[in-house]
Amino acid sequence: MKKTVRLVSTLVIIASAAWLTGCTGKPTTKEAPKAMAAQVDPAVVAEGKAIAVNRKKGNCLACHMIEDEPTPGNVGPPLLAMQARYPDKAKLRAQIWDATAANPESAMVPFGRLQVLSDAEIDKIVEYIWTL
Amino acid sequence: MKIKTVLAMLVLAFGLLAGSAAVLAGGMKADAAMAADAIAKAEAARKQAASVNGEWRDTGKFIKQAQEAAKAGEHDKAVKLAKKAEQEGRLGYEQQVSQSELKIPSYLKY
Amino acid sequence: MKKILITLALLAITAVTAQAGPEEDRMAFIKYYKAKFPSVPMEEYANGVYAIDPIGRENWEAIEEFPPYEPFIDAGQAMWEKPFANGKGYKDCFPDGPAMADKYPSWDKQQGMVMTLPLALNNCLKANGEKPLKYKKGPINNILAYIAFQSRGKVINVEVPKDDPRAMAAYEDGKKFYFTRRGQLNFSCATCHLQNTGLRVRTEILSPTLGHVTGWPVYRSKWGTVGTLHRRFSGCNNNIRAKALEAQGEEYRNLEYFLTSLSNGLELNGPSARK
Repeated sequence: MKKTVRLVSTLVIIASAAWLTGCTGKPTTKEAPKAMAAQVDPAVVAEGKAIAVNRKKGNCLACHMIEDEPTPGNVGPPLLAMQARYPDKAKLRAQIWDATAANPESAMVPFGRLQVLSDAEIDKIVEYIWTL
Repeated sequence: MKIKTVLAMLVLAFGLLAGSAAVLAGGMKADAAMAADAIAKAEAARKQAASVNGEWRDTGKFIKQAQEAAKAGEHDKAVKLAKKAEQEGRLGYEQQVSQSELKIPSYLKY
Repeated sequence: MKKILITLALLAITAVTAQAGPEEDRMAFIKYYKAKFPSVPMEEYANGVYAIDPIGRENWEAIEEFPPYEPFIDAGQAMWEKPFANGKGYKDCFPDGPAMADKYPSWDKQQGMVMTLPLALNNCLKANGEKPLKYKKGPINNILAYIAFQSRGKVINVEVPKDDPRAMAAYEDGKKFYFTRRGQLNFSCATCHLQNTGLRVRTEILSPTLGHVTGWPVYRSKWGTVGTLHRRFSGCNNNIRAKALEAQGEEYRNLEYFLTSLSNGLELNGPSARK
């Protein structure tokens, strides 16, 4: 009896793990991120977007392509499939906060460490970028 | 009796007035002093950054704005601006000190 | 044990001597850009960003048909020829004539510092009781434009003399400035003009370091006039949110020394026009 319980629970764990990796590991289709992003307050996402595209704030477009946004640069990679690239939102936040922590030669502005943006602003940007 | 009461009331009233005035003046003075202190700290941090050519573009501007705010009696604003400038001074200094050794980036191959 | 010590000592010595000198630096930069832009011939780097930006180049060539810097050359010629109050003139300070931009920057052993052309011009003015010129904007650009025009075709050949260790120290100082991140945006010169050359910030293609010094003074459409190299340094520092350093101060002069040495072998082609 005990054995059966253990077997069943192991199976359940494996199955759910497989389901989870399937969810995060699969390159996302166009609809998936939007469906997931719906859990976040759209007002926060909108605020994040405003900060991201503001030339005096995030100015993400100076270096990154964002779909449907005008005159992007290409010093950094295009901002798309962000949830596939950063299943862990905290890692995305860390990258924006200080990309030179992971790679000292990164050209990216350490937005948090050098206080180009406040922590609250970065939180909002992360929510927006994660919808891309 | 009546005079005594009036006198007592007067003394009390004066005492209260003087006390609250002192509290008020004290509060003002503390704020102005706080602003002056924050500005002095910011200026010191800016100078330290400049000593290693690490001053940032807007640090001096924030200090100036802090001084103007202090002059206008907006001490909270002055302290906030000065703190920002001090942070910038500290970060700009650290930025240069952390690079005191020349490091040729890995992408340039000799 | 002794053997090990000797080997270690030898290693230490080679490590010191292996420190790259100006020629090694130049070759490394050339190698880097050749790998990045294999189809761009070396001499093209004198054209700055237009060496690697075919679309911008068309526009630039059209501008060069009617050079916006021409009136500044004429005004500079008038300055060159007009005597000072004491009857002398630039000609007396520079007897070999105005085609001399290739002589700068150079190591001034007597003063123990990098001598630049704008500094030499002001030394001439001061020696003759004239008011020195400002180093970023204004009439200095006229005389520089005239000298640059007269110097076209001369080949850059900066020397860092080996007999004065201070010269190498100045060069090294300029090199360190180039590779040091600064400002709130945390960029070094190398971040944009080496690591990411050819990529775009917004619509602007980042220019290569090789050739950065060939065409000064530059008529920049953004400025609506002709400006000096050190004005551009200031602007660059401002863009990365660093406080600009003093034009013709030691840091920028040493940076100019390093940059010009890297461009050794390229032809001078100033004044020039840029966006």
